[in-house]
Amino acid sequence: MSVHPLPNSDGRGRAAPGSDAVLDALPHPVVGFDWDGEVIFANASARDCFGERIVGSDFADLFPNGSDPFKQLAAAGRVLGLVSNAQTRFRGLFGAMAAGGFVLSLIAEEADAAAGAEADELTGMMKRGGLALRLDAALADLAGGGARLAVHCIDLDRFKTVNDTLGHGVGDGLLKKVADRMRAACRKEDCVARIGGDEFVVIQAGVGDRTDAERLAARLVDLIGRTYVLSGHTVNIGASVGVALAEPGQGTRDLLRNGDLALYEAKRAGRGRFRVFEDGMDAALRDRRELEIDLRRALALKQFSLHYQPFIDLQTERTIGFEALIRWDHPVRGRVTPADFIPLAEETGLISKIGEWVLRTACATATTWPDEMSVAVNVSPVQFKSDNLIETIVSALAHSGLPAHRLEIEITEGALLEDTSNVLKTLHALRDLGIRISMDDFGTGYSSLSYLQKFPFNKIKIDRSFVQGADEGGDNEAILKAIAGLGLSLGMAITAEGVETPEQLARIRGEQCTHVQGYFTGRPMPADGIATFLQA
Amino acid sequence: MPAPLYQLVYYSRNAVSRDGAGFEAEVASILAASRRNNEAAGVTGTLLFNAGVFAQVLEGPLDAVEATFERIQQDDRHGDVSLLALEPIAQRSFSGWAMGFVGRSAENTARFAEVGLSSGFDPAALGGQKVHAILRDLTVEEEAAAA
Repeated sequence: MSVHPLPNSDGRGRAAPGSDAVLDALPHPVVGFDWDGEVIFANASARDCFGERIVGSDFADLFPNGSDPFKQLAAAGRVLGLVSNAQTRFRGLFGAMAAGGFVLSLIAEEADAAAGAEADELTGMMKRGGLALRLDAALADLAGGGARLAVHCIDLDRFKTVNDTLGHGVGDGLLKKVADRMRAACRKEDCVARIGGDEFVVIQAGVGDRTDAERLAARLVDLIGRTYVLSGHTVNIGASVGVALAEPGQGTRDLLRNGDLALYEAKRAGRGRFRVFEDGMDAALRDRRELEIDLRRALALKQFSLHYQPFIDLQTERTIGFEALIRWDHPVRGRVTPADFIPLAEETGLISKIGEWVLRTACATATTWPDEMSVAVNVSPVQFKSDNLIETIVSALAHSGLPAHRLEIEITEGALLEDTSNVLKTLHALRDLGIRISMDDFGTGYSSLSYLQKFPFNKIKIDRSFVQGADEGGDNEAILKAIAGLGLSLGMAITAEGVETPEQLARIRGEQCTHVQGYFTGRPMPADGIATFLQA
Repeated sequence: MPAPLYQLVYYSRNAVSRDGAGFEAEVASILAASRRNNEAAGVTGTLLFNAGVFAQVLEGPLDAVEATFERIQQDDRHGDVSLLALEPIAQRSFSGWAMGFVGRSAENTARFAEVGLSSGFDPAALGGQKVHAILRDLTVEEEAAAA
C-alpha cells in the first residue's frame, strides 16, 4: 500500500509546497486530532500557542474546561467557544478529515496586547505570552553583551494521575504548592511561567556557566519531587526538567525548543531528572521526535499494512497458517522497518493502539483463509501491562468472527520479565478462551527454561540465528537440537525460523522441529497475495 | 467545634553543617523558627535530631500541619524527606513545642542537653509513643551512618 502526500495527490498544481509548509504559514492555530481526540499534528501557530509538545496530548489537555465529549464537539458543525489551558479564548471550527479524524481551526478571540501582563489565575505566574516577552527582552540584552541566561522547561510526572484519582480540587492545590516550591528554588531575578496544565518554564537570570544552570535544575527536581500533603492526602509527583543555555543571537523560539528537546531526553531517560541541551543531542532527538510525530499520525493516515508469512507443518508439508507482520510505508521516509519504530511505539505507549489495529486486521483477514488456517500475531510486553488486552483480543475475535483456536498470540520472553504473575494470569485466561500461545525468538533473550515450566506454551519458535548458525555445525547445531528435544518432551510444537536454504530445511527436519517458517518456504506477502500463494 | 487534629511524622537527612559552633547555631535557629511559626498556627510537636537526621512529629489542625510541612519541604536544611505517618488523632501527644537530641554520641548529648531542657523536651513523655521508638531507631542508625 502506498500513501501519497496530501498536496498534488489530485494532480493539480506543480511544485506546490508541502502541506506542512502551507499549514505553518497560516497565522492562526490548526490542530489535527484522531477519532479519540489525540493530537496528531499541529501547525506552527498551534505549537506557539500550546507548546512544542502538543502532538500526542488530548483535546481535554488543550481545552480542560469543557464538559462535552470530544466526539460530540467535533461533530457539532458550528463555531465553538473554547478556552485553552493557558486561559486564552478561541473561536474554533471542526472539520472531518478524509483520512480519518478531525481538524480544528482556531481564532483567538482577543488581541494579545494585554496577554503579556496577564497572570495565571491559579498560580499567579506569568503565562506563555508574558514568558515570550520576557525572553525576547533577555535575549536582546544578551545579544548586546548582557548577562547569560538559561531556560528550564519543566513537566510534572504523574500529575494527571493525581487529578484523575483525587479530583481537580486537589490537583489545583498541588499546582499551587508546586508553584510555591519553584519560586522557593529560584532567586528574585529569575522568573517562572506556567505555560500549560502541568508545564512550566523557569528563566534563570545571571547564569555564569553550565554548573549554575545544573544546580538550579537539580534543585527544581529535588524540591518538586518531595512529598506533598494536601487535604490529608499524601501526594507524590516528580519533575522532569530540560535545560538550555542561551547563546547570543539566539531567538526565543529556538531557545525554548532546545529546552524542550532536553526535556524530552530527560523523560526518555526515566523522568524525575534533568538534562542539559547539547549540540548533537539536537539532530538525534529531532529525528526521534519527528519519527514519533509521524508514528502518531500513521494509524489515522492508514500508513500501516500487514504482510503475512506462511508457516508449514513439516509432517503434512502444508501451510497451516500465517504470521502477521506489520509494515509501515511512509510517504517520505519510505518503508520503515519494525526494528526502527516498534521500540519507539513501546516507549510512547502507541503500541497499544497499533497492536489493537494489528489484532483486528489480522483476525479479519484470517477469516478469508481456507482450511482452518491460523494467524499468528505478535503482542508486545507493553500491551500486557495495559488492563484491556484480553478485552481487545476477545473483541477482535468477536468482530471478525474468527474462532479463537485459529488465533496464535506470540510473546517474547520480555513479556514475562516483569510482573510475571499477572502476565501468566492473562496468558492462562487467553488459553482458556482457546487461543494458542507461542514463545517467540527463543534462544536470544534470557532463554530461561523456567519460563517454559511456568506456562504450557503451545509452540516455541527457535530464533533464526540458531537455524542459520547451524550451517557451520558446532554449538548452534547443538542448541537447535537441545531446544527441539526440550519441546518434544514438553509436548510443545517447535517452529524453526529463518530457514532460507534446502540444507537448513533438511537439517531442522532431522532435528525433529515440527514447523518451519522462513524465506525458503515462503516470504511475507500482502493479504491479497495469499490466495495465489496457496494455489501454487 | 474545633477543627479535627492530625499527626504528621517525618524524618529527613540533616543537611546542616556538622562542625561545632555552626551546628549549634543552626539548631538554635531551627528551634526558634519552629516555635515562632508553629505555636502561632496551633501546631505542636517534637523535633528529634542528631548529626544524621531530623525526625519530627507535628500535631494540629490539618491546614496548619500541611502548611508547616510544606515549609519544611522548601527548606534546604532538610534533604530526602520521608513521610512516615499522616493520620487523624483524638488528642495531642505533645502539648508544647519540644526539641531533643537523640543519639549515641556522648559529646553531643551533653552539648545539646541544654537545648533539650530549655525547650521542655522530655524523653520520658516520648516513651510510650510508638512513633518515638521508630524515630529513635532511625535517628540512631542515621547518626551511626553519618559518623
